[in-house]
Amino acid sequence: MFTVTSLRRGAIALLSSALALTAVAHHSTAEFDYTKQQTLQGTVKEVQWTNPHSFIQLLVPKAGGEPVEWAVEIGSPSINIAMGWKKNSVKPGEKVTLLISPARNGSPLGTLRKLTFEDGRELVGVAGRVRPTPPAAPAQGK
Amino acid sequence: MRRIAWCLAAVLSLQLAGCGSKSADQHVARTPDDLLGIWVPDAAPRELTVNGSPPPLTEDAAATYAQHKARFVEGDFGYDPTSWCAGPGLPRILTMPYPFEIRRSGDHLAFIHGWYRWFRTVDLNGPEPQPPLPTTLGFPVGRFEGDTLVIRTVGLTDTTVLDAAGLPHSDQLVITERLRVLPDGRLEDRMTFEDPDTFTAPWETVLTFHRDPAARVTDDVCIDRLAKGEPAEDLSRVSPPPATTAKPASPPAPVAQPRLTGMWEAKTFGIFVPEAEAKFNPNGKALFDRNAAAMKSGHIMQTAWTSCRPGAVSTMTMSREAIMVLETADEITILYEMPRMVRRIHMNAEHPKDLQPSYVGHSVGRWEGDVLVVDTIGYNGFAELGAGGQPTSAQMHTVERFTPAADGSYDIEVTITDPAYYTEPVVLKRGWKKKDARHPLEYDCMENPREEDYKSSYFVHEQYRPVCMRVAGKGMELSKMVCKPWTGE
Repeated sequence: MFTVTSLRRGAIALLSSALALTAVAHHSTAEFDYTKQQTLQGTVKEVQWTNPHSFIQLLVPKAGGEPVEWAVEIGSPSINIAMGWKKNSVKPGEKVTLLISPARNGSPLGTLRKLTFEDGRELVGVAGRVRPTPPAAPAQGK
Repeated sequence: MRRIAWCLAAVLSLQLAGCGSKSADQHVARTPDDLLGIWVPDAAPRELTVNGSPPPLTEDAAATYAQHKARFVEGDFGYDPTSWCAGPGLPRILTMPYPFEIRRSGDHLAFIHGWYRWFRTVDLNGPEPQPPLPTTLGFPVGRFEGDTLVIRTVGLTDTTVLDAAGLPHSDQLVITERLRVLPDGRLEDRMTFEDPDTFTAPWETVLTFHRDPAARVTDDVCIDRLAKGEPAEDLSRVSPPPATTAKPASPPAPVAQPRLTGMWEAKTFGIFVPEAEAKFNPNGKALFDRNAAAMKSGHIMQTAWTSCRPGAVSTMTMSREAIMVLETADEITILYEMPRMVRRIHMNAEHPKDLQPSYVGHSVGRWEGDVLVVDTIGYNGFAELGAGGQPTSAQMHTVERFTPAADGSYDIEVTITDPAYYTEPVVLKRGWKKKDARHPLEYDCMENPREEDYKSSYFVHEQYRPVCMRVAGKGMELSKMVCKPWTGE
């Protein structure tokens, strides 16, 4: 039987066994520094619910200037669904807090560890599941 | 028509002899097998119509369609994912002037499209699907009513458009197709669209296709055509039907005992291939070290895989997700969900002498008892064995040995020989196990190429540079897809 339940179960089995690899399925994640964590508070401008990775574009207020637009990577739609997300879980205009690991090159880019809504609800990002504690020294390509 | 009338009269009088035979210029469908083979669209309609009139759109949908049409006239096709080589969806892919092939093996029927490796597998014996997420080609379930194939498709993503002019739809869309071979030998696909969010009533349109003995469904890589300055959809390919329809080739003979037909998935998957690294010659080591240095400096490494043009060797080293296999006596067809690819194993055949190098190469196969041996040459040198960027050349030769295991799975030994970069053959152990699903999902690799990613990318080959990318909007302006050769500026 092809059901949501059986597929979810399969997807979750996949998560538990191989999510670390799934997370880097499309490209290596060497661009992110998993030893660092950063909190962003802002307003969702755009959600790109797409392969190979989905993104939240977040406008973060900057004192005395224009807001800075951050791009925060989340998983592919199939991985996100297996982790409890829906296509419309996050909507443009919502105020959210994102815990991320930032890009090494200092650009406003990161990979999501955890998203918190204004009412306290949370969604976990792939990086939050795969790398719950920052490793001491990231291995090459991982 | 006269022949049908005659046959109908014969049926009524129980004189059936002769009704099933075909003359050279008139092929009346008598079995579902008549749908099989390669079909070429009669036209590439830019707008789908109901007998020449527009579909019955809701007010909102009509406004969206009008906006898209205005952009279409201006040559701005940014509303159509096809324009940047992402999935066209159904029925858009059938309105493109590219041939497709219908193959069947048991309960599985597949449309193998000649545009960028897309395929659609139709479940001929399954329950009503419950899509976990919508996809561009949806979750088709089919059944034969006499010689007509009826396909019902649900689970279609609203990110595609139904025609080139940008006819919108919601993810509530249900498409019912009735496919049959017409008395003149052409294929008719009569499609009904039901989507209360978009249309005020169900509506129907008809697409037709013809046979052309010269037509081939080849390994099309859309982004390589874009890089050469060609359009994503080449309308110069439109070939109207000839005055007399070509005689259909005999359908491929079924296999007596299918061994691989059905859905599989990799037993384990990985993206690193350390086995190769121990076998590098100095040239291979130098390229690998260059790649490693780029990654250590924080770059995204763009390989054939990540730049959406994987070679067949990637299915051997990094295969994953669903793998659908169809078998006929002459061919084992392997449809990979991720990386999306169609491989054709020519059974009991020889490699031709004048091979054109390609990403997928040329594969021949044979059964040695219970073991399937697949030998592939004719690669183009644009493939990496793993996420470390282990290089390959056009000299590469691969041999896959599929050995059945006691639990019904297959162990696969892959031997990769490439003297350009390796001192001796690289041997990998992989495997397939049965997958408990009726439909593969989709991996639409080109759905969202982002400029931001390319800004911090390292390209293993210059050929992997993008043409189309999503550019972030300034201020409150939304992002948009822009197609221009990437210079890194």
